[in-house]
Amino acid sequence: MVKLEEYRLEDSTSLTAKCFHGEPASCSFACPFQLDVRGFLRRASEGKWKRAYKTYRTATVFPVIVSTLCDQPCQNRCQRTLLGDEAIAIREIEKACIKYTKNRKPQAYAIPPKPEKIAVVGAGVAGLSCALNLAEKNYQVTVFEKEDTWGGILRDHPDFPAFDEDIKLQFSAVDVDFKFKHKINSLTELADFAAVYIATGAGGDDFGLLSSWNDEVFTTAKDKIFLGGMLAGLTLMESIAQGNLLSKIIEGYLQTGRASLGYDVYDKNYCGHYLEHEDAVSQPRVIAASPEGYTEEEAKQEAARCLFCDCDKCLTQCEMLKRFKKNPHIIAVEAYNDTKANPPYSTRSLTRQTYSCNLCGYCKSICPEGIDIGAVLRLSRRARMSAGIHPAALQDFWLREMDFATSTGAYISAPKGKETCEYAFFPGCQLGAAAPENVLQAYAYLAQNYDTGIMLTCCGAPAYWAGDDERLDNNLEKIKQDWTALGKPTLIFACATCETLFKQFLPETKTVSLYELLAQDDQLTPAQPFAEGAVFDPCNARGNEDMQHSVRILAQKAGITITELKDKNRCCGYGGLIRLANPSLYDEITQNRAKASEKPYIVYCVNCREVFTSRDKDAVHILDMVFGTGKNRKVPTLLEKRENSLEVKKALMAEISGTSFTPEKQPWDDLTLLIDDELQKEMEAKLISAGELKEAIWQAETTGAKFYDESDNMCLTYMVKPVITYWVQYREVGPQTYQVYSAYYHRIRIKEEG
Amino acid sequence: MAAEDRKWKCWQCNQELVKQQVLFTYLGHTFSHDLPTCPKCRRVFIPKELADGAIAEVEEQLEDK
Repeated sequence: MVKLEEYRLEDSTSLTAKCFHGEPASCSFACPFQLDVRGFLRRASEGKWKRAYKTYRTATVFPVIVSTLCDQPCQNRCQRTLLGDEAIAIREIEKACIKYTKNRKPQAYAIPPKPEKIAVVGAGVAGLSCALNLAEKNYQVTVFEKEDTWGGILRDHPDFPAFDEDIKLQFSAVDVDFKFKHKINSLTELADFAAVYIATGAGGDDFGLLSSWNDEVFTTAKDKIFLGGMLAGLTLMESIAQGNLLSKIIEGYLQTGRASLGYDVYDKNYCGHYLEHEDAVSQPRVIAASPEGYTEEEAKQEAARCLFCDCDKCLTQCEMLKRFKKNPHIIAVEAYNDTKANPPYSTRSLTRQTYSCNLCGYCKSICPEGIDIGAVLRLSRRARMSAGIHPAALQDFWLREMDFATSTGAYISAPKGKETCEYAFFPGCQLGAAAPENVLQAYAYLAQNYDTGIMLTCCGAPAYWAGDDERLDNNLEKIKQDWTALGKPTLIFACATCETLFKQFLPETKTVSLYELLAQDDQLTPAQPFAEGAVFDPCNARGNEDMQHSVRILAQKAGITITELKDKNRCCGYGGLIRLANPSLYDEITQNRAKASEKPYIVYCVNCREVFTSRDKDAVHILDMVFGTGKNRKVPTLLEKRENSLEVKKALMAEISGTSFTPEKQPWDDLTLLIDDELQKEMEAKLISAGELKEAIWQAETTGAKFYDESDNMCLTYMVKPVITYWVQYREVGPQTYQVYSAYYHRIRIKEEG
Repeated sequence: MAAEDRKWKCWQCNQELVKQQVLFTYLGHTFSHDLPTCPKCRRVFIPKELADGAIAEVEEQLEDK
């Protein structure tokens, strides 16, 4: 695995680089002015005419001219046409915006006057656009025009009076020195100016500079002389847009001595990001009732037809991303920043989100670019773990369970009397813990039909989810050794998470799902717990067609009518170990999944089953159907799970090796705790095992380190585990028997010497 | 009876608890709070309400840093 000692910003930003959330929509790419069409129409649809106008005016400079003459290339890129509808009637909405904006008078800004003098040669739209933008920055602008008025080619247009009004209005708040009937014959006349823009129109005087024109930054062979507009072959609209852009280039030139694009100007031909619009409904264009154009209401309605194209699939469909409201680019940058912040003084901004992700890959599955936010957040977890700045208590419980499953709970063996085997059953650590007979029955079945050994251990998913590379690597190494010693058997998985992890980290292993083997057996008729049901595919079975298909075959053999969920392979909530990091999010997710169908669920991940059963959702594990062990099995307590795991190991060892297994006994194991149902439920939700309480009570009783209330012999003690302090209030009610009254924990540590 | 209303005594020291300043650490941060403590061995009593309430809030805030 890649070590994270040198975690770089690119390591996370490269994972989200292709995300186009927030980028201009396809219509804006087509617009000569790069107008934020989406934003403009959003404001128009809300009747916020003044704000819509401001957006439009800033981009187009001369709203009346542009709304009249623009040939609307945006309409060819309007994604509403993908639904068979007409493109948004942008021109009519622009005109309505101008009409319904009460005060269009340009605002005068109190900007300190700048000393630089700039000359614009030509008072056509290109020159005017540039002159106006520079004058608004308070540069000293002089426009030289050989004719007696402005407008250039527009002077011949029948609507010129309206255009003339527009130009007058836009220049009403600035101070520009217009020199009409003043032909410039030689650039030496303009030697006093700090910059000169030649915009003399189509066929105008180029002063011999057109051949040296740079079409990116509009410079010429002569220092400080810029050129553009229709003189350079641009269209009328492009000329206005260029004048606007050039004003920024000239300003940069005056400040730095270099002409360059100070910001990204996007490629107008690049309109590749079209969205799917699955839920969009076809809507006809709003037709104006009057030849005078849209009423205010009609314009709003037409603007509301805009699909406001912006990809936000992951941000609206993943509960976690929806809750934290950060886009993928921000997440990537913060994931990096958080590990670089200097502990403990810097505020990290992504910690809670980092540990609230199910790492289920759903975002990747719905993203048009296949971006996996979980990959960024797992990287963040790994980097924090590597830097020692992870909140260990959030995942400590599962890592301790993993350690148990890979040590005391582990059992690796070839079949009875053999050293190696063709197959080995890898049930995963949770199946036996939740349903020991499922493992034993499945193994018995496999041993009867295949040359099958057993690998009872944990695949390492908790370490993977926690970002604990070292623990994960060590476990994988051990598994690899054991698998090699068994003669590299094909591994039979009951858990999609185990199989996914093996495919990623031990690709040399050949794998098959237990359900595939069971589905191939024509003799098997699974029990039918209900007549109709929905298959709830676990997140880690996404893309595992064989596994998904096999479970459906088994359910069909049971005679169940299967309903398919609309959204498949969503995480039940268990993935990524978010339960302690974000209990309310966990609750929201588990509730949403339980509600995804009214039908009972057929599941094949024991964690999914546990989540649904805990929420009183009818759910049966496919193995309980295959082996007829019933439905709605009770969820064992945390302590019972450990005991179940040991029972599985004990039974398998007796069966395969003929040896008896006696787990190492702790002195507190023999204590009996009486815990009422309500408290037990609370303990389970907080992942407090009765095993911890037994140990705490035993320590208190043997050392006397406890508080007591002599009025009723009530006792209270605490025990510090590496990162969690457990408290228990109890009373002795019989020999080695204690009634527990409360159990709780905290993550902060009492500083003993304090 | 609520745990914090009880007259807890330290079993080992046979002392009634008195409020004292107690130092805590979490994720590199140190802070203090007045809590019932055995005056002799300084064993601290943290009631459930405090652990589930204010302490849990502080933990969350520090984890977010």
